[in-house]
Amino acid sequence: MAVATCSRTLEQEYGIPTAPVSTFEFIDFLGDDLRFHGVPLRFVYTPHPVVGMPPSALRGYIEGKDPATQRIVVDEIIEALTKPVREDEFTEDFSSLSRTGVRQPLLESDTEDNLQRLFYQRGWTDGLPIILPTEERVAEMLTATNSVRDEVVAEIFLHDAQEYLRVTVEMVAIVAVMAGARPEHLPVILAVASTGHPSIVGSTTPFACMLLVNGPIRNEIEMNSGMGAFSPRNLANSVIGRAWTLLTIQGGYFRLKKQFWSSQGNPISYNNMCVAENEERSVWEPFHVQKSFRADESVISLFRGWSFVNNVVGSSTRSVGEDTCVLLGALPGLFSSATLILDPLVARHLKENDGFQTKLDFGRWISQNYKVPAGQFWGTDLIHMLMAPVAEQGVEPYASWKKLPPETLIAPYDKPENINVVVVGGETSPMWKVADFSYVASASVDKWRARPAADGCIDGSCGLPDPE
Amino acid sequence: MATLLRSAVLNPEAHRTVKAAADDASAKPRLFSSLAPRLGSLHNKTIYLVDTGFGGSGKFLDQVQSWFAEHMPSVTTVRRRKTGDSIFRDDTKDLWAEIKDRGQAAILGVAG
Repeated sequence: MAVATCSRTLEQEYGIPTAPVSTFEFIDFLGDDLRFHGVPLRFVYTPHPVVGMPPSALRGYIEGKDPATQRIVVDEIIEALTKPVREDEFTEDFSSLSRTGVRQPLLESDTEDNLQRLFYQRGWTDGLPIILPTEERVAEMLTATNSVRDEVVAEIFLHDAQEYLRVTVEMVAIVAVMAGARPEHLPVILAVASTGHPSIVGSTTPFACMLLVNGPIRNEIEMNSGMGAFSPRNLANSVIGRAWTLLTIQGGYFRLKKQFWSSQGNPISYNNMCVAENEERSVWEPFHVQKSFRADESVISLFRGWSFVNNVVGSSTRSVGEDTCVLLGALPGLFSSATLILDPLVARHLKENDGFQTKLDFGRWISQNYKVPAGQFWGTDLIHMLMAPVAEQGVEPYASWKKLPPETLIAPYDKPENINVVVVGGETSPMWKVADFSYVASASVDKWRARPAADGCIDGSCGLPDPE
Repeated sequence: MATLLRSAVLNPEAHRTVKAAADDASAKPRLFSSLAPRLGSLHNKTIYLVDTGFGGSGKFLDQVQSWFAEHMPSVTTVRRRKTGDSIFRDDTKDLWAEIKDRGQAAILGVAG
């Protein structure tokens, strides 16, 4: 947490006495920070929240009581700056940091129902029943990769514990079984794990992620990039996306008020919008090729943001570009990041009728034509939090935008290359989605595969059960 | 009647391994390191009120500044926002140097 980190710096490197202030909601987090760093910062707590409160309420916080101590907040602030700290003010056990311990590799024998209950109660699941990771199932899962089971796939830093979690091939295989994955899905899940990126972020905001798969493996494992690709129907899409969140949970990212802080959460986290790009029906270069991978490589790409908005009936009154600008009005425009998920019909229309020869051409048009008043842009809290510091540093064009009259129009998507375009859908209607997701990372799947690629399907709608 | 599962089930937590962020002794927790010397009194002192940029933190410190103006007018307060690229980490240098040069204390907030 920045307040604690900055206070430590001022106290210990600059010799400046500080009074750090937090809302009461974060008292446990700051306790962990104190235990790890051993620096007895004299935090003063106000009621929660501060954001959105009127000046009169904030004044009341200052003249009112600290919920942790029942003492007047401003008195505590003054005392923090003027009186030496006493060791008996802090009762934390600074020596009890170790989280490692010997755990039995196998669970005690029990019934299926009891073991399902155990997994749920231990916080190892996403709330849904899982496939129990038996020795046989995990061993079978591991046959899908040439990697050895104790190979470290990634190291993930856990802020609250100040530790690195080593993610092994075996850990990923256990999670893959739990998610309901088949062995052929494992290389994709290993590629996701190899990025070290969790699907859940330690933030009070409702972060969400998207997982895109490109290349031959999409069809080999019967992923759906066509009709209803985001719907709960296709096995590979469902279980691969779910595995990312189960892996994140195993990584410790769902410990309440340790790593997990989201006030409302986000239902996208159930399977992280896991989907394949419909390369067969797209008129443009596949996404992974845009990221300098070969077309015949299998690649996962990760995106992160908060929200998406649907165009729900196509676009006949305005152009696709104009309607996309309308949809973008619901999103913040943070560092020019957006992800446009277009049905193949929309992509074809944009190329053949509107003349956008590449995805980047369309991104450039959006960049030039979407405009908002400067006051509206900077008035968005997220922009104020994350982009105002960059403007203050003199980085253009943000520094200039910050000086403009509030009514002056600016084009906040100033980096067309940050506007990602992905083609997904079954061509039953020319619709699309607009998300505030930024591109996070890509990783090759092929490194983790034990088998070569196979031929795939024609229209992208692979792997859909169709009883009729 | 429920029957025992025949196959052994792996414990997911047994396959989590961790290592400390750094192995050198200096990075290990310090038992009770000291803070900067306190001021004794704020009379005629200059205090920087630094907000991190989280929503509402600037408005909160504006109210702290008003409170000092009304109740402790001998205290000079300077309102600033944390500098640097990120509100999530300490990448500030210039402001800390300024506080060291021109101020005697700082109030930082608001986390949350």
